[in-house]
Amino acid sequence: MTEKPTMIAFQDVHKYYGDYHALRGITATIKAGEFFSLLGPSGCGKTTLLRTIAGFEGISSGAVMIDGRNMAGVPANQRPTNMVFQSYAIFPHLTVGENVGFGLRRAGLTKDALAARVGEALDMVGLKGYGARAAHALSGGQRQRVALARALILKPKVLLLDEPLSALDKKMREQMQVELIRLQRQVGITFILVTHDQEEALVMSDRIAVMFEGEIAQLADPETLYRRPNSRKVADFIGTMNFLPASILSETGGKLEVEAQGFGKVTLEAEQAPGAASGEGAAVGFRPETLTILFEGQTATDRESMATIEEVVYYGDMTYYDVRLDGTEKPIRISMRNVFGRPVLDIGARTRVAWSPGALVLFR
Amino acid sequence: MMKGGWFKVYAIGYLVFLYAPIIILPMFAFNDATVIAFPLTGFSTRWFSAMLEQPTLSLAVKNSLFIAVTSAVLATTLGVFAARASTRYRFPMKAGLMGLIMLPLVLPEIIVAVSLLVVLLGLGVSLSLWTVILGHVLICTPFTIAILSSAFQSLDQSLEEAAYDLGESAASTFRLIILPLVMPGIISSLLISFTISLDEFIIAFFLAGTEPTLPVFIFSQFRFPSAVPVIMALGTVLVCLSIILLTIAEYFRRRGIAKSGGKDTGGFL
Ligand SMILES: Nc1ncnc2c1ncn2[C@@H]1O[C@H](COP(=O)(O)OP(=O)(O)O)[C@@H](O)[C@H]1O
Ligand SMILES: [Mg+2]
Repeated sequence: MTEKPTMIAFQDVHKYYGDYHALRGITATIKAGEFFSLLGPSGCGKTTLLRTIAGFEGISSGAVMIDGRNMAGVPANQRPTNMVFQSYAIFPHLTVGENVGFGLRRAGLTKDALAARVGEALDMVGLKGYGARAAHALSGGQRQRVALARALILKPKVLLLDEPLSALDKKMREQMQVELIRLQRQVGITFILVTHDQEEALVMSDRIAVMFEGEIAQLADPETLYRRPNSRKVADFIGTMNFLPASILSETGGKLEVEAQGFGKVTLEAEQAPGAASGEGAAVGFRPETLTILFEGQTATDRESMATIEEVVYYGDMTYYDVRLDGTEKPIRISMRNVFGRPVLDIGARTRVAWSPGALVLFR
Repeated sequence: MMKGGWFKVYAIGYLVFLYAPIIILPMFAFNDATVIAFPLTGFSTRWFSAMLEQPTLSLAVKNSLFIAVTSAVLATTLGVFAARASTRYRFPMKAGLMGLIMLPLVLPEIIVAVSLLVVLLGLGVSLSLWTVILGHVLICTPFTIAILSSAFQSLDQSLEEAAYDLGESAASTFRLIILPLVMPGIISSLLISFTISLDEFIIAFFLAGTEPTLPVFIFSQFRFPSAVPVIMALGTVLVCLSIILLTIAEYFRRRGIAKSGGKDTGGFL
């Protein structure tokens, strides 16, 4: 597979609002045809970064390149990007068709050609035949589709989406997630999505940049982000992660000898310690589903420890157990898929827990 | 239900107090007698024909229409700028500045009129219809700003950005998106300032010089008892006109809010 060319490059981008340092040295590249997400808590600068691509927000220093061209001084209406706004920004006084065709006004198309393009775009987002409807009478999901069609009809190099699904209810949101992925594959345009919803980012993206306070904390594909977060903060933001105190005994030839509470001595590969030292003291982290409670007659494939069950939360398809491994002070969470006929364990029960050193992540 | 009973009495009393004079106006306008007194003597439209034959009256109407139209256009133009600035841009001392602009709303009109007169005479400006227009723009602008601010405020800023993002220039965005969406507000603002200016007396009286305006003319006619029924006829026409204009203004204001999908936060009606 050949490496995809770079579509967007941020080079040490800083942005100040007055005294407030909103973007603190963003350096990253986004590849052509990629579904890229900017993920982070509210106020971390995702929208600001997206708007520097669109050209709505100037930058204080650094450079934003789109398709190899420095965007300094290029106004929003001349950039090869289009945006789907959080509020959708559907023009309420126009029809659906006029909204979708708005960007083609200047293309000098004949009436028929314009109508054909609009029809095509509406078809693509599943709104065939809606062209003559009044835009202000649409539902939230339909507005979103109109906004998508309106932006995609111009065939931009990059489509920018600012929390496009946050106004929809859960069911609609999940449906639109799938449709957006399908749409992106179909048109092959680079999509950049802003979201504060980690699940949404994991589901939809090829790669994700996790942002905190104006900085990119980690940029990786969803699986790496989930399995090998490079800091406790990223690990906490994406899903649930357990931490237990650990100390590094030795580090030789890319292998780490670690003594971890509850696990004893383990040997970890270098890639299991992706982060730099944080000053919080070393700890091993692991996801709730990487540990397994062993029932009668089951044996561990790798390693096992003894534990006491302290809390049981039953979710129907899943049960969450808060268990304390022998020799540790605080409980950790284990999630188990429920199997028909297998009992849910009680609080206070003693149990064996299977685990594998490969699932651990070391934070220094 | 004592409480409800008293409220009913109050409400009816209030309505009578408010509208009885307005009902009396057409009564005597169509009454076939020179004296304004009951009982009514018979139906006649002669006061309306007499009204149409008054040469000063037609001059006064012409002057007032000119003043009202010009003031409405100028005050609304200023209102558009001020409302746009106050809803879109941040600038130092914004609250204070906006307060100052809105001040004529509560300033006694006689003070505005007298101080304008003093300033204009001091500057050596001769009184004319234009000096009246100046005064009327001054008192109408706060109203236009109030109406237009609500129109501009209910406009989502991302609509502008979306148009710009789709390739339009700032000017064409204004023309294609902002203007159509605030147009109901602009029409409503034009109509309301027109109405305010048309029946404004004090400023016109002080600043018009020798030119008659409609309210000033009406006032002067009350010296002649025989002219009073004509004034009643004129008053009837004016009341009808005002009601029609205000209704149209309110209609456009509400339509504007509905169109841009906002919530009604109250207007003048
Ligand atoms: N126009 C602005 N003026 C001043 N501060 C702003 C402006 N826009 C955003 N900010 C601030 O910059 C920070 C990042 O904002 P934003 O990019 O909208 O965050 P996010 O989209 O991640 O929630 C926030 O603290 C916000 O208050
Ligand atoms: Mg945001």
